[in-house]
Amino acid sequence: MSSIIAIENAKIDIRNLNFYYKKGLKPALENINMPIPDKKVTALIGPSGCGKTTLLRCLNRMHDLYPGIKYEGEIIFDNQNILSKSTDLIILRSRIGMVFQKPTPFPMSIFENVAFGLRLMGINNKTELRDRVEAAIKMAALWDEVGNRLHENAFSLSGGQQQRLVIARAIAVNPEVLLFDEPTSALDPISTAKIEELIIELKKRMAIVIVTHNMQQAARIGDYTAFMYLGKLIEFDKTETIFTNPKEKLTEDYITGRFG
Amino acid sequence: MIELKDSGVYRSALPMKRNGKVGNALFKIAAFIAAALIPLVVIMVFVVLFIEAYPAIKTFGVWHFITSKSWDAVDNHFGAFTPLFGSIYVTLWAFIFAAPISIGVAIYITELAPHWLKPIVTTAIELLAAIPTVIYGMWGLFVLAPVMQNHVEPWILDHLATLPIIGFLFNGPGIGIDTLTTAVILSIMITPFMSSLIKDAFSLVPEVVKESAYGLGATRWEVIRKVVMPYVSSGIFGAGIFAIGRALGETMAVSFVNGNNHNPGSLLDMLSLLNSVTTITVTLADEFTEAMTHLYLSALFYLALILLTISFSTLAIAKLIVWRLERRWKT
Repeated sequence: MSSIIAIENAKIDIRNLNFYYKKGLKPALENINMPIPDKKVTALIGPSGCGKTTLLRCLNRMHDLYPGIKYEGEIIFDNQNILSKSTDLIILRSRIGMVFQKPTPFPMSIFENVAFGLRLMGINNKTELRDRVEAAIKMAALWDEVGNRLHENAFSLSGGQQQRLVIARAIAVNPEVLLFDEPTSALDPISTAKIEELIIELKKRMAIVIVTHNMQQAARIGDYTAFMYLGKLIEFDKTETIFTNPKEKLTEDYITGRFG
Repeated sequence: MIELKDSGVYRSALPMKRNGKVGNALFKIAAFIAAALIPLVVIMVFVVLFIEAYPAIKTFGVWHFITSKSWDAVDNHFGAFTPLFGSIYVTLWAFIFAAPISIGVAIYITELAPHWLKPIVTTAIELLAAIPTVIYGMWGLFVLAPVMQNHVEPWILDHLATLPIIGFLFNGPGIGIDTLTTAVILSIMITPFMSSLIKDAFSLVPEVVKESAYGLGATRWEVIRKVVMPYVSSGIFGAGIFAIGRALGETMAVSFVNGNNHNPGSLLDMLSLLNSVTTITVTLADEFTEAMTHLYLSALFYLALILLTISFSTLAIAKLIVWRLERRWKT
Protein backbone atom coordinates (compact mmCIF):
# COMPACT_ATOMS: atom_id res chain seq x y z
CA MET A 1 0.00 0.00 0.00
CA SER A 2 2.43 2.58 -1.13
CA SER A 3 3.08 4.56 -4.22
CA ILE A 4 6.61 5.50 -5.14
CA ILE A 5 7.59 6.95 -8.48
CA ALA A 6 10.90 6.16 -10.05
CA ILE A 7 13.24 8.99 -11.02
CA GLU A 8 16.28 9.31 -13.18
CA ASN A 9 19.68 10.14 -11.79
CA ALA A 10 19.05 9.57 -8.11
CA LYS A 11 21.82 10.82 -5.85
CA ILE A 12 20.89 8.37 -3.15
CA ASP A 13 18.79 5.24 -3.46
CA ILE A 14 17.22 3.76 -0.36
CA ARG A 15 16.38 0.08 -0.78
CA ASN A 16 14.35 -2.09 1.58
CA LEU A 17 15.54 -0.13 4.57
CA ASN A 18 14.51 -1.24 8.06
CA PHE A 19 15.81 0.60 11.07
CA TYR A 20 15.68 -0.43 14.74
CA TYR A 21 16.53 1.82 17.68
CA LYS A 22 16.94 -1.32 19.70
CA LYS A 23 17.47 -4.81 18.39
CA GLY A 24 14.39 -6.93 18.97
CA LEU A 25 12.02 -3.98 19.27
CA LYS A 26 9.69 -3.22 16.43
CA PRO A 27 11.34 -1.29 13.63
CA ALA A 28 11.20 2.50 13.60
CA LEU A 29 11.42 2.40 9.82
CA GLU A 30 9.88 -0.41 7.83
CA ASN A 31 10.79 -1.36 4.29
CA ILE A 32 11.58 2.09 2.96
CA ASN A 33 12.27 2.31 -0.78
CA MET A 34 12.93 5.76 -2.06
CA PRO A 35 15.22 7.67 -4.38
CA ILE A 36 16.74 11.04 -3.47
CA PRO A 37 16.99 13.07 -6.67
CA ASP A 38 20.12 15.12 -7.31
CA LYS A 39 19.96 18.93 -7.43
CA LYS A 40 16.40 18.91 -6.15
CA VAL A 41 14.71 19.52 -2.84
CA THR A 42 13.02 16.46 -1.38
CA ALA A 43 10.66 17.18 1.49
CA LEU A 44 9.79 14.56 4.11
CA ILE A 45 6.38 15.14 5.67
CA GLY A 46 4.14 13.21 8.02
CA PRO A 47 2.70 13.37 11.53
CA SER A 48 4.95 13.43 14.61
CA GLY A 49 6.68 10.15 15.28
CA CYS A 50 6.26 8.85 11.74
CA GLY A 51 10.00 8.40 11.23
CA LYS A 52 10.94 11.42 9.09
CA THR A 53 13.86 12.45 11.24
CA THR A 54 14.85 8.83 11.80
CA LEU A 55 15.05 8.33 8.05
CA LEU A 56 17.03 11.54 7.59
CA ARG A 57 19.54 10.47 10.22
CA CYS A 58 20.07 7.16 8.45
CA LEU A 59 21.42 9.01 5.45
CA ASN A 60 24.55 10.22 7.24
CA ARG A 61 24.43 7.42 9.79
CA MET A 62 24.06 9.81 12.68
CA HIS A 63 22.33 6.98 14.55
CA ASP A 64 25.70 5.28 14.88
CA LEU A 65 26.63 7.65 17.69
CA TYR A 66 24.26 5.75 19.94
CA PRO A 67 24.47 2.13 21.02
CA GLY A 68 22.11 -0.70 20.20
CA ILE A 69 20.80 0.45 16.82
CA LYS A 70 20.49 -1.73 13.75
CA TYR A 71 20.03 -1.14 10.02
CA GLU A 72 18.78 -3.62 7.44
CA GLY A 73 18.67 -3.07 3.71
CA GLU A 74 20.74 -0.75 1.61
CA ILE A 75 21.32 2.93 1.08
CA ILE A 76 23.20 3.37 -2.18
CA PHE A 77 25.24 6.55 -2.47
CA ASP A 78 27.74 6.79 -5.29
CA ASN A 79 27.39 3.07 -6.13
CA GLN A 80 28.23 2.09 -2.61
CA ASN A 81 26.08 0.86 0.20
CA ILE A 82 26.73 3.33 3.00
CA LEU A 83 25.23 0.90 5.50
CA SER A 84 28.08 -1.51 4.98
CA LYS A 85 30.59 -1.93 7.77
CA SER A 86 33.45 -0.65 5.68
CA THR A 87 31.95 2.82 5.22
CA ASP A 88 34.20 5.56 6.55
CA LEU A 89 31.73 7.64 8.55
CA ILE A 90 34.09 10.59 8.76
CA ILE A 91 34.26 10.87 5.00
CA LEU A 92 30.57 10.06 4.55
CA ARG A 93 29.55 12.87 6.87
CA SER A 94 31.76 15.39 5.15
CA ARG A 95 30.03 14.50 1.87
CA ILE A 96 26.54 14.49 3.37
CA GLY A 97 26.08 17.53 5.58
CA MET A 98 23.39 18.16 8.15
CA VAL A 99 21.57 21.14 9.66
CA PHE A 100 19.46 20.76 12.77
CA GLN A 101 16.25 22.13 14.17
CA LYS A 102 17.95 24.50 16.59
CA PRO A 103 20.96 26.51 15.47
CA THR A 104 24.11 24.84 16.73
CA PRO A 105 26.95 27.34 16.55
CA PHE A 106 30.14 26.16 18.21
CA PRO A 107 31.63 28.19 21.06
CA MET A 108 34.05 30.10 18.87
CA SER A 109 34.10 33.03 16.47
CA ILE A 110 31.91 33.35 13.39
CA PHE A 111 34.94 32.79 11.19
CA GLU A 112 36.11 29.73 13.11
CA ASN A 113 32.64 28.21 12.96
CA VAL A 114 32.66 28.23 9.18
CA ALA A 115 36.33 27.24 9.05
CA PHE A 116 35.66 24.28 11.34
CA GLY A 117 34.93 21.69 8.65
CA LEU A 118 37.61 23.10 6.36
CA ARG A 119 40.25 22.76 9.03
CA LEU A 120 39.12 19.17 9.63
CA MET A 121 39.82 18.55 5.96
CA GLY A 122 43.34 19.81 6.44
CA ILE A 123 42.99 23.25 4.87
CA ASN A 124 45.34 25.42 6.89
CA ASN A 125 46.53 27.90 4.30
CA LYS A 126 45.30 31.24 5.59
CA THR A 127 44.35 32.74 2.24
CA GLU A 128 42.52 29.69 1.04
CA LEU A 129 40.74 29.35 4.35
CA ARG A 130 39.63 32.96 4.26
CA ASP A 131 38.44 32.72 0.68
CA ARG A 132 36.46 29.57 1.29
CA VAL A 133 34.92 30.92 4.48
CA GLU A 134 33.94 34.11 2.69
CA ALA A 135 32.44 32.18 -0.22
CA ALA A 136 30.42 29.96 2.11
CA ILE A 137 29.10 32.88 4.13
CA LYS A 138 28.17 34.70 0.94
CA MET A 139 26.42 31.64 -0.40
CA ALA A 140 24.49 31.47 2.87
CA ALA A 141 23.40 35.10 2.28
CA LEU A 142 24.94 36.17 5.54
CA TRP A 143 27.92 38.18 4.36
CA ASP A 144 26.17 41.57 4.46
CA GLU A 145 25.32 41.00 8.09
CA VAL A 146 28.54 39.49 9.43
CA GLY A 147 31.27 40.33 6.90
CA ASN A 148 32.68 43.07 9.09
CA ARG A 149 32.58 41.16 12.37
CA LEU A 150 33.86 37.71 11.56
CA HIS A 151 35.86 37.51 14.73
CA GLU A 152 32.98 38.09 17.06
CA ASN A 153 31.51 35.24 19.00
CA ALA A 154 28.97 33.23 17.02
CA PHE A 155 26.57 33.37 19.95
CA SER A 156 26.20 37.10 19.44
CA LEU A 157 24.14 36.47 16.28
CA SER A 158 20.36 36.24 16.23
CA GLY A 159 18.67 32.84 15.94
CA GLY A 160 18.04 33.23 12.21
CA GLN A 161 21.61 34.41 11.59
CA GLN A 162 22.95 31.52 13.65
CA GLN A 163 20.99 29.08 11.52
CA ARG A 164 22.39 30.60 8.31
CA LEU A 165 25.85 30.49 9.87
CA VAL A 166 25.37 26.80 10.55
CA ILE A 167 24.30 26.34 6.93
CA ALA A 168 27.41 28.25 5.80
CA ARG A 169 29.48 25.92 7.97
CA ALA A 170 27.83 22.89 6.38
CA ILE A 171 28.23 24.08 2.77
CA ALA A 172 31.80 25.28 3.25
CA VAL A 173 33.05 21.72 2.78
CA ASN A 174 31.17 21.29 -0.51
CA PRO A 175 28.85 18.48 0.47
CA GLU A 176 27.03 16.59 -2.27
CA VAL A 177 23.92 16.19 -0.15
CA LEU A 178 22.59 18.47 2.58
CA LEU A 179 20.12 17.20 5.17
CA PHE A 180 17.84 19.63 6.98
CA ASP A 181 15.97 18.54 10.08
CA GLU A 182 13.15 21.05 10.52
CA PRO A 183 15.56 23.94 10.06
CA THR A 184 13.01 26.71 10.54
CA SER A 185 10.81 25.42 13.33
CA ALA A 186 12.63 27.56 15.89
CA LEU A 187 12.66 30.70 13.72
CA ASP A 188 10.40 33.66 13.06
CA PRO A 189 8.63 34.01 9.67
CA ILE A 190 11.17 36.43 8.19
CA SER A 191 14.15 34.25 9.10
CA THR A 192 12.18 31.27 7.80
CA ALA A 193 11.67 32.96 4.44
CA LYS A 194 15.39 33.69 4.19
CA ILE A 195 16.30 30.08 4.90
CA GLU A 196 13.77 28.86 2.35
CA GLU A 197 15.19 31.16 -0.32
CA LEU A 198 18.62 29.92 0.57
CA ILE A 199 17.59 26.28 0.23
CA ILE A 200 16.16 26.94 -3.24
CA GLU A 201 19.45 28.58 -4.17
CA LEU A 202 21.52 25.73 -2.75
CA LYS A 203 19.75 23.01 -4.71
CA LYS A 204 21.58 24.17 -7.83
CA ARG A 205 24.68 22.65 -6.31
CA MET A 206 23.56 19.70 -4.26
CA ALA A 207 20.78 17.31 -3.39
CA ILE A 208 18.70 18.52 -0.49
CA VAL A 209 16.49 16.55 1.87
CA ILE A 210 14.37 18.48 4.32
CA VAL A 211 12.21 17.20 7.13
CA THR A 212 9.40 19.59 7.82
CA HIS A 213 6.39 19.79 10.05
CA ASN A 214 4.99 22.50 7.91
CA MET A 215 3.15 21.29 4.83
CA GLN A 216 3.13 24.73 3.28
CA GLN A 217 6.90 24.74 3.52
CA ALA A 218 7.05 21.41 1.73
CA ALA A 219 4.74 22.78 -0.96
CA ARG A 220 6.78 25.98 -1.28
CA ILE A 221 10.26 24.58 -1.61
CA GLY A 222 9.98 20.83 -2.27
CA ASP A 223 10.42 19.53 -5.80
CA TYR A 224 9.58 16.08 -4.52
CA THR A 225 7.68 15.15 -1.41
CA ALA A 226 7.63 11.94 0.58
CA PHE A 227 4.77 11.27 2.94
CA MET A 228 5.54 8.96 5.83
CA TYR A 229 3.23 7.39 8.33
CA LEU A 230 4.00 5.06 11.25
CA GLY A 231 7.51 4.25 10.06
CA LYS A 232 6.46 3.53 6.50
CA LEU A 233 6.83 5.51 3.34
CA ILE A 234 3.31 5.92 2.00
CA GLU A 235 3.90 8.01 -1.05
CA PHE A 236 6.77 9.61 -2.90
CA ASP A 237 6.09 11.82 -5.87
CA LYS A 238 6.52 15.25 -7.34
CA THR A 239 5.37 17.80 -4.80
CA GLU A 240 2.69 19.05 -7.16
CA THR A 241 1.19 15.61 -7.51
CA ILE A 242 1.28 14.95 -3.76
CA PHE A 243 -0.57 18.13 -2.98
CA THR A 244 -3.03 18.15 -5.86
CA ASN A 245 -3.59 14.57 -6.83
CA PRO A 246 -2.21 12.11 -4.29
CA LYS A 247 -2.52 8.47 -5.20
CA GLU A 248 -2.91 7.19 -1.64
CA LYS A 249 -5.93 7.79 0.54
CA LEU A 250 -3.72 8.32 3.62
CA THR A 251 -1.75 11.04 1.88
CA GLU A 252 -4.91 12.79 0.87
CA ASP A 253 -6.30 12.62 4.39
CA TYR A 254 -3.10 14.07 5.78
CA ILE A 255 -2.67 16.95 3.38
CA THR A 256 -6.30 17.92 3.68
CA GLY A 257 -5.89 18.03 7.43
CA ARG A 258 -8.17 15.15 8.27
CA PHE A 259 -5.61 13.81 10.74
CA GLY A 260 -2.15 14.57 12.00
CA MET B 1 -18.22 17.62 18.20
CA ILE B 2 -18.87 16.92 21.85
CA GLU B 3 -21.95 18.56 23.24
CA LEU B 4 -21.77 19.94 26.74
CA LYS B 5 -24.78 18.94 28.74
CA ASP B 6 -25.48 21.72 31.18
CA SER B 7 -26.95 20.48 34.42
CA GLY B 8 -26.65 23.89 36.01
CA VAL B 9 -23.80 22.88 38.32
CA TYR B 10 -21.28 24.75 36.30
CA ARG B 11 -23.08 28.02 36.61
CA SER B 12 -23.87 27.77 40.32
CA ALA B 13 -21.67 30.07 42.37
CA LEU B 14 -18.43 28.79 43.92
CA PRO B 15 -17.94 29.65 47.59
CA MET B 16 -14.81 31.73 46.76
CA LYS B 17 -13.43 31.04 50.21
CA ARG B 18 -9.79 30.10 50.21
CA ASN B 19 -8.28 28.25 53.13
CA GLY B 20 -4.57 27.91 53.62
CA LYS B 21 -3.58 31.59 53.60
CA VAL B 22 -2.13 31.33 57.09
CA GLY B 23 -0.22 28.19 56.18
CA ASN B 24 1.16 29.92 53.13
CA ALA B 25 2.38 32.87 55.17
CA LEU B 26 3.92 30.63 57.82
CA PHE B 27 5.69 28.58 55.21
CA LYS B 28 7.08 31.70 53.62
CA ILE B 29 8.44 32.93 56.95
CA ALA B 30 9.94 29.53 57.80
CA ALA B 31 11.66 29.29 54.44
CA PHE B 32 12.99 32.82 54.80
CA ILE B 33 14.44 32.07 58.23
CA ALA B 34 16.09 28.92 56.93
CA ALA B 35 17.64 30.81 54.02
CA ALA B 36 18.71 33.76 56.18
CA LEU B 37 20.45 31.45 58.65
CA ILE B 38 23.16 30.55 56.18
CA PRO B 39 24.66 34.00 55.53
CA LEU B 40 24.15 34.72 59.22
CA VAL B 41 26.25 31.70 60.21
CA VAL B 42 28.99 32.72 57.76
CA ILE B 43 29.07 36.23 59.15
CA MET B 44 29.09 34.96 62.74
CA VAL B 45 32.02 32.66 62.01
CA PHE B 46 33.98 35.59 60.63
CA VAL B 47 33.05 37.74 63.60
CA VAL B 48 33.99 35.13 66.19
CA LEU B 49 37.32 34.38 64.50
CA PHE B 50 38.10 38.06 64.27
CA ILE B 51 37.34 38.69 67.95
CA GLU B 52 39.43 35.73 69.06
CA ALA B 53 42.27 36.66 66.71
CA TYR B 54 42.24 40.31 67.65
CA PRO B 55 45.08 40.21 70.26
CA ALA B 56 47.35 38.55 67.69
CA ILE B 57 46.28 40.95 64.95
CA LYS B 58 47.09 43.86 67.27
CA THR B 59 50.47 42.40 68.26
CA PHE B 60 51.75 41.24 64.86
CA GLY B 61 49.79 43.26 62.31
CA VAL B 62 48.78 41.76 58.97
CA TRP B 63 51.85 42.02 56.77
CA HIS B 64 54.28 41.00 59.48
CA PHE B 65 52.15 38.04 60.48
CA ILE B 66 51.85 36.57 57.00
CA THR B 67 55.50 37.13 56.08
CA SER B 68 57.22 36.08 59.27
CA LYS B 69 58.53 32.55 59.38
CA SER B 70 59.11 32.45 63.10
CA TRP B 71 56.62 30.30 65.00
CA ASP B 72 58.05 30.30 68.48
CA ALA B 73 55.88 29.44 71.45
CA VAL B 74 58.70 30.07 73.93
CA ASP B 75 59.36 33.58 72.69
CA ASN B 76 55.68 34.15 72.19
CA HIS B 77 56.31 35.23 68.61
CA PHE B 78 54.10 33.89 65.85
CA GLY B 79 54.36 34.26 62.09
CA ALA B 80 52.08 32.52 59.62
CA PHE B 81 54.31 32.31 56.59
CA THR B 82 55.26 28.64 56.88
CA PRO B 83 51.77 27.14 57.31
CA LEU B 84 50.27 29.64 54.87
CA PHE B 85 52.86 28.81 52.25
CA GLY B 86 52.50 25.09 52.99
CA SER B 87 48.73 25.15 52.55
CA ILE B 88 48.91 26.93 49.24
CA TYR B 89 51.90 25.01 47.92
CA VAL B 90 50.60 21.54 48.76
CA THR B 91 47.24 22.46 47.26
CA LEU B 92 48.90 23.74 44.12
CA TRP B 93 50.71 20.47 43.54
CA ALA B 94 47.64 18.42 44.39
CA PHE B 95 45.79 20.44 41.77
CA ILE B 96 48.52 19.93 39.19
CA PHE B 97 48.35 16.15 39.73
CA ALA B 98 44.57 15.95 39.91
CA ALA B 99 43.51 18.24 37.06
CA PRO B 100 44.61 16.19 34.05
CA ILE B 101 43.43 12.96 35.66
CA SER B 102 40.04 14.44 36.47
CA ILE B 103 39.58 15.80 32.97
CA GLY B 104 40.59 12.42 31.55
CA VAL B 105 38.17 10.57 33.81
CA ALA B 106 35.34 12.93 32.89
CA ILE B 107 36.03 12.61 29.17
CA TYR B 108 36.22 8.86 29.45
CA ILE B 109 32.93 8.57 31.29
CA THR B 110 30.95 11.01 29.17
CA GLU B 111 32.38 10.42 25.72
CA LEU B 112 34.41 7.26 25.42
CA ALA B 113 33.35 4.52 27.81
CA PRO B 114 31.10 1.78 26.42
CA HIS B 115 27.53 2.13 27.55
CA TRP B 116 27.59 -0.66 30.11
CA LEU B 117 30.81 0.50 31.74
CA LYS B 118 29.73 4.09 32.47
CA PRO B 119 27.68 3.44 35.61
CA ILE B 120 30.40 1.14 36.97
CA VAL B 121 33.17 3.72 36.58
CA THR B 122 30.92 6.48 37.89
CA THR B 123 30.01 4.49 40.98
CA ALA B 124 33.62 3.56 41.62
CA ILE B 125 34.58 7.22 41.59
CA GLU B 126 31.72 8.16 43.87
CA LEU B 127 32.87 5.46 46.28
CA LEU B 128 36.33 6.97 46.25
CA ALA B 129 34.77 10.23 47.40
CA ALA B 130 32.98 8.42 50.22
CA ILE B 131 36.17 7.17 51.89
CA PRO B 132 36.69 9.09 55.15
CA THR B 133 39.72 11.32 54.92
CA VAL B 134 41.33 9.82 58.00
CA ILE B 135 41.55 6.54 56.10
CA TYR B 136 43.33 8.28 53.26
CA GLY B 137 45.71 9.59 55.89
CA MET B 138 46.35 6.14 57.36
CA TRP B 139 46.82 4.67 53.94
CA GLY B 140 49.19 7.51 53.12
CA LEU B 141 51.28 6.95 56.22
CA PHE B 142 51.41 3.17 56.23
CA VAL B 143 51.32 2.32 52.55
CA LEU B 144 52.14 5.26 50.35
CA ALA B 145 54.86 6.92 52.45
CA PRO B 146 57.09 3.77 52.64
CA VAL B 147 56.68 3.22 48.91
CA MET B 148 57.64 6.81 48.25
CA GLN B 149 60.55 6.59 50.66
CA ASN B 150 61.97 3.32 49.36
CA HIS B 151 61.21 3.40 45.68
CA VAL B 152 59.99 6.67 44.23
CA GLU B 153 61.99 9.29 46.06
CA PRO B 154 65.42 7.63 45.77
CA TRP B 155 64.86 7.59 42.02
CA ILE B 156 63.83 11.25 42.07
CA LEU B 157 66.92 12.14 44.10
CA ASP B 158 69.13 10.27 41.67
CA HIS B 159 67.62 11.52 38.45
CA LEU B 160 65.66 14.73 38.92
CA ALA B 161 67.53 16.49 41.71
CA THR B 162 70.52 16.91 39.46
CA LEU B 163 68.59 18.64 36.68
CA PRO B 164 69.51 22.23 35.95
CA ILE B 165 67.06 25.00 36.91
CA ILE B 166 64.30 22.75 38.27
CA GLY B 167 66.59 20.53 40.35
CA PHE B 168 65.80 22.47 43.53
CA LEU B 169 62.25 21.07 43.40
CA PHE B 170 63.64 17.63 44.08
CA ASN B 171 66.26 18.24 46.74
CA GLY B 172 65.62 17.05 50.25
CA PRO B 173 65.78 14.16 52.68
CA GLY B 174 63.21 12.11 50.78
CA ILE B 175 61.79 10.24 53.72
CA GLY B 176 58.32 9.88 52.31
CA ILE B 177 56.75 12.33 54.76
CA ASP B 178 56.81 15.44 52.62
CA THR B 179 55.09 17.75 50.19
CA LEU B 180 55.12 15.18 47.38
CA THR B 181 53.36 12.44 49.35
CA THR B 182 50.90 14.96 50.74
CA ALA B 183 50.13 16.30 47.30
CA VAL B 184 49.62 12.79 45.93
CA ILE B 185 47.18 11.91 48.73
CA LEU B 186 45.36 15.19 48.34
CA SER B 187 45.12 14.75 44.60
CA ILE B 188 43.60 11.30 45.03
CA MET B 189 41.11 12.84 47.40
CA ILE B 190 40.04 15.70 45.17
CA THR B 191 40.02 13.74 41.91
CA PRO B 192 36.57 12.17 42.44
CA PHE B 193 35.19 15.51 43.46
CA MET B 194 36.69 17.32 40.52
CA SER B 195 35.93 14.67 37.94
CA SER B 196 32.29 14.45 38.91
CA LEU B 197 31.94 18.24 38.65
CA ILE B 198 33.66 18.21 35.26
CA LYS B 199 31.51 15.28 34.19
CA ASP B 200 28.41 17.32 35.01
CA ALA B 201 29.75 20.18 32.91
CA PHE B 202 30.37 17.79 30.02
CA SER B 203 26.88 16.41 30.14
CA LEU B 204 25.51 19.94 29.76
CA VAL B 205 26.90 20.19 26.23
CA PRO B 206 23.83 19.86 24.00
CA GLU B 207 23.82 16.52 22.19
CA VAL B 208 22.85 18.30 18.98
CA VAL B 209 25.95 20.51 19.07
CA LYS B 210 28.12 17.42 19.23
CA GLU B 211 26.07 15.87 16.43
CA SER B 212 26.69 18.97 14.33
CA ALA B 213 30.40 18.49 14.71
CA TYR B 214 30.14 14.79 13.89
CA GLY B 215 27.93 15.82 10.98
CA LEU B 216 30.85 17.77 9.53
CA GLY B 217 33.00 14.68 9.61
CA ALA B 218 34.80 15.30 12.88
CA THR B 219 36.31 12.38 14.74
CA ARG B 220 35.50 11.76 18.36
CA TRP B 221 38.76 13.32 19.46
CA GLU B 222 38.18 16.41 17.32
CA VAL B 223 34.68 16.82 18.72
CA ILE B 224 35.99 16.59 22.28
CA ARG B 225 38.96 18.85 21.74
CA LYS B 226 37.45 21.53 19.53
CA VAL B 227 33.79 21.66 20.50
CA VAL B 228 33.22 20.06 23.88
CA MET B 229 36.28 21.49 25.62
CA PRO B 230 35.64 25.14 24.78
CA TYR B 231 32.03 24.61 25.77
CA VAL B 232 32.94 23.26 29.18
CA SER B 233 35.98 25.41 29.91
CA SER B 234 34.10 27.45 32.48
CA GLY B 235 32.85 24.27 34.10
CA ILE B 236 36.35 22.84 34.25
CA PHE B 237 37.66 26.04 35.72
CA GLY B 238 34.93 26.12 38.33
CA ALA B 239 35.50 22.48 39.22
CA GLY B 240 39.22 23.20 39.63
CA ILE B 241 38.61 26.07 42.02
CA PHE B 242 36.10 24.13 44.08
CA ALA B 243 38.60 21.31 44.30
CA ILE B 244 41.31 23.76 45.38
CA GLY B 245 38.95 25.05 48.05
CA ARG B 246 38.46 21.53 49.28
CA ALA B 247 42.17 20.72 49.25
CA LEU B 248 42.95 23.91 51.17
CA GLY B 249 40.59 22.92 53.95
CA GLU B 250 41.67 19.32 54.19
CA THR B 251 43.19 18.35 57.54
CA MET B 252 43.11 14.69 58.44
CA ALA B 253 44.86 13.12 55.49
CA VAL B 254 47.42 15.90 55.36
CA SER B 255 48.28 15.67 59.04
CA PHE B 256 49.43 12.07 58.63
CA VAL B 257 51.92 12.64 55.87
CA ASN B 258 53.13 16.23 55.73
CA GLY B 259 55.41 16.18 58.77
CA ASN B 260 54.04 19.30 60.48
CA ASN B 261 57.39 20.98 60.11
CA HIS B 262 57.41 24.59 61.27
CA ASN B 263 61.08 25.09 60.40
CA PRO B 264 61.54 23.89 56.83
CA GLY B 265 64.51 26.17 56.24
CA SER B 266 64.94 28.65 53.40
CA LEU B 267 62.32 29.40 50.79
CA LEU B 268 64.24 27.24 48.34
CA ASP B 269 64.04 24.34 50.76
CA MET B 270 60.35 24.94 51.22
CA LEU B 271 59.79 24.73 47.49
CA SER B 272 61.29 21.27 47.34
CA LEU B 273 58.78 18.49 46.94
CA LEU B 274 60.90 16.22 49.11
CA ASN B 275 60.84 18.48 52.14
CA SER B 276 58.26 18.39 54.87
CA VAL B 277 56.14 21.44 55.55
CA THR B 278 53.07 22.20 57.57
CA THR B 279 49.71 23.61 56.62
CA ILE B 280 47.29 25.90 58.38
CA THR B 281 44.81 23.10 58.96
CA VAL B 282 47.40 20.78 60.44
CA THR B 283 48.80 23.51 62.66
CA LEU B 284 45.34 24.22 63.97
CA ALA B 285 44.51 20.57 64.55
CA ASP B 286 47.80 19.86 66.33
CA GLU B 287 48.37 22.90 68.45
CA PHE B 288 45.17 23.99 70.11
CA THR B 289 45.86 21.61 72.97
CA GLU B 290 49.36 23.01 73.37
CA ALA B 291 48.46 26.68 73.26
CA MET B 292 49.32 27.74 76.76
CA THR B 293 49.40 31.48 76.36
CA HIS B 294 46.61 33.79 75.36
CA LEU B 295 48.63 35.12 72.45
CA TYR B 296 49.41 31.63 71.15
CA LEU B 297 45.72 30.78 71.12
CA SER B 298 44.93 34.07 69.47
CA ALA B 299 47.56 33.43 66.80
CA LEU B 300 45.89 30.12 65.98
CA PHE B 301 42.56 31.89 65.56
CA TYR B 302 44.34 34.38 63.35
CA LEU B 303 45.52 31.47 61.17
CA ALA B 304 41.98 30.16 61.02
CA LEU B 305 40.74 33.58 59.96
CA ILE B 306 43.31 33.68 57.16
CA LEU B 307 42.32 30.20 55.98
CA LEU B 308 38.66 31.14 55.95
CA THR B 309 39.42 34.33 54.06
CA ILE B 310 41.42 32.45 51.43
CA SER B 311 38.79 29.73 50.98
CA PHE B 312 36.04 32.28 50.88
CA SER B 313 37.69 34.50 48.32
CA THR B 314 38.77 31.52 46.16
CA LEU B 315 35.16 30.45 45.97
CA ALA B 316 33.94 33.98 45.33
CA ILE B 317 36.45 34.50 42.53
CA ALA B 318 35.53 31.11 41.03
CA LYS B 319 31.85 31.98 41.05
CA LEU B 320 32.57 35.31 39.43
CA ILE B 321 34.73 33.89 36.67
CA VAL B 322 32.40 30.97 35.95
CA TRP B 323 29.54 33.42 35.78
CA ARG B 324 31.39 35.67 33.34
CA LEU B 325 32.51 32.78 31.13
CA GLU B 326 29.01 31.40 31.03
CA ARG B 327 27.61 34.75 30.05
CA ARG B 328 30.05 34.79 27.17
CA TRP B 329 28.50 31.68 25.64
CA LYS B 330 24.91 32.38 26.50
CA THR B 331 23.80 35.55 24.81
